[in-house]
Amino acid sequence: MRRLLWLSVVAAVAIAYPLLLSSPFQQRLGALVLLYAIAASAWNIVGGYAGQVSVGHVVFFGCGAYAAMGSYAKFGLSPLFGIPGGIVLAVVLAAIVGVPTLRLSGHYFSMATIAVAETMRLIVTNTDYLGAAVGLSGPTVPRNIFDLSFLSSLPYYYLFLVILAITLLITWWMANSRMGFYLRAIKDSERAARSLGAPASRTKLYAFMLSAALTSVAGALYAMMFGFVDPESGLGILISVKILIMAALGGAGLLFGPLVGAAILVPLEEISNSWLGGKGAGLTFVVYGAIIVLIARFQPGGILSLFKRRGKPGVDTGASHAP
Amino acid sequence: MLLEARGITKAFGSFKAVDDASVTLEQGDILGLIGPNGAGKSTFFNCLTGDLKATSGRVLFGGRDITDFTPELRAELGLARTFQVPQTFEGMTVLENVMIGAFLRSSHRAEAETKAHAVLERVGMSRLAEASARSLGTPGRKRLEIARALATEPKVLLLDEAMAGLNANEVKLAIDLVRDIHRSGITLVIVEHIMEVIMSLASRVMVFHQGKEIARGSPREVTSNPAVIAAYLGTRAAKAAAGHTPIELMGGPLT
Repeated sequence: MRRLLWLSVVAAVAIAYPLLLSSPFQQRLGALVLLYAIAASAWNIVGGYAGQVSVGHVVFFGCGAYAAMGSYAKFGLSPLFGIPGGIVLAVVLAAIVGVPTLRLSGHYFSMATIAVAETMRLIVTNTDYLGAAVGLSGPTVPRNIFDLSFLSSLPYYYLFLVILAITLLITWWMANSRMGFYLRAIKDSERAARSLGAPASRTKLYAFMLSAALTSVAGALYAMMFGFVDPESGLGILISVKILIMAALGGAGLLFGPLVGAAILVPLEEISNSWLGGKGAGLTFVVYGAIIVLIARFQPGGILSLFKRRGKPGVDTGASHAP
Repeated sequence: MLLEARGITKAFGSFKAVDDASVTLEQGDILGLIGPNGAGKSTFFNCLTGDLKATSGRVLFGGRDITDFTPELRAELGLARTFQVPQTFEGMTVLENVMIGAFLRSSHRAEAETKAHAVLERVGMSRLAEASARSLGTPGRKRLEIARALATEPKVLLLDEAMAGLNANEVKLAIDLVRDIHRSGITLVIVEHIMEVIMSLASRVMVFHQGKEIARGSPREVTSNPAVIAAYLGTRAAKAAAGHTPIELMGGPLT
């Protein structure tokens, strides 16, 4: 009941925000928070629930971004048509990458995903068809509403809000299904989970593919809002890192963790950028580094884990009241 | 024949942890695996559950060759196990731990939850259902391992030192639980160090020493076997126990 109340409050605030704080900067900020919240929530499925810390998620982000821009630049279609293509691309890529790498544990998995992401970035940078280092652009002047090219950030804000709601709904459904339970069990002890019949490799792979699909949608939305994609903005490793830190800061493995993380970090970055101009970009990543250290040292569960209801502290009477 | 192992060998490099071990398990058996530390019983056990891949030999379950099956496939066929060092899902409640086992036969959450509650009732842990699994001590964790395995509705349950670390009273309660499980029609394999447990539970015992099977039979036969005593206590003690007290035992022949 209390949960439902909180949910309604959060939803009301989210819907009212761009109307109350209506300067272009504030609306743009809101849209960006939601966009990164989508990407971080998508990452959360595999990084949080399954405990497989992917640092190469930007690959799937790039699939979506390039598919959306490609559908306009190459075929003259609305970038919207690129979304399904991006999803298919991301899921196939996740399957190819996931089968060998998901066997790796801990840091080794993270390193493998970085390698994949960087390889992909270099390939795309050298592929003329995909615009090489310059990238691809979307429609400069919207031909119709389906081009989703708006001057104001307001339409993007509400579009992202809907997509975020869908992403969270999918995550919630997944977390409460057998798959979600299996993922949490595998994260704690893969060996025990398998002994109880949980198909570890397959479950992790499905999570990876689901996460990739949603991340690709985030990438497509990003490219639509900015109207272009290049290897740096679509496949740069720093996007992976940003997504990861947002989820970890808010609370990896918690439904609303990534949203909380995005709501803290995106304004931080935007404000420092606008204050410091071009020089600020570097500073943001110094801050990110500091945040990583702080999370790891003081609150590995993320901010939201502070408020998480814990199980009742049980008195250990395991064997004292046998049948 | 429910479970059969034929000529299982497990080598780590040139070291054979298990050397050509075979066993058959009939419906309703309680097979005890004993032996000194490092004898290879846990390795053999892990070859049966699929946690380790045998270097050579076959494992059959209900006449079906399951040698190349993964642990999860074996669980689906009806093979469940517990771990020597409890592998509790720390981030979950006691109930959720058991639900992981229950999900094997029921894919819906509500159904799995009902089943998990029933299993907790059966092992006497209902009151702890909502407690965090992290809060359990060794006896609770060992019992939770059994509950989780039971939730998969196994035909054969393999217990790896399920009583290690329990005090005398807790051991007695655990023995009662195992008896209760056996009565419900589940065949058991138990690896155990505590002789009292083996003596009171096992219908047949297999003794390992240095990777090889050195004896098998009823608990009584096995414990009076000189080779077994020698493995546990050394050759001298065995000879002493066998009544052939050699003169060397008393300090060697007088010259």
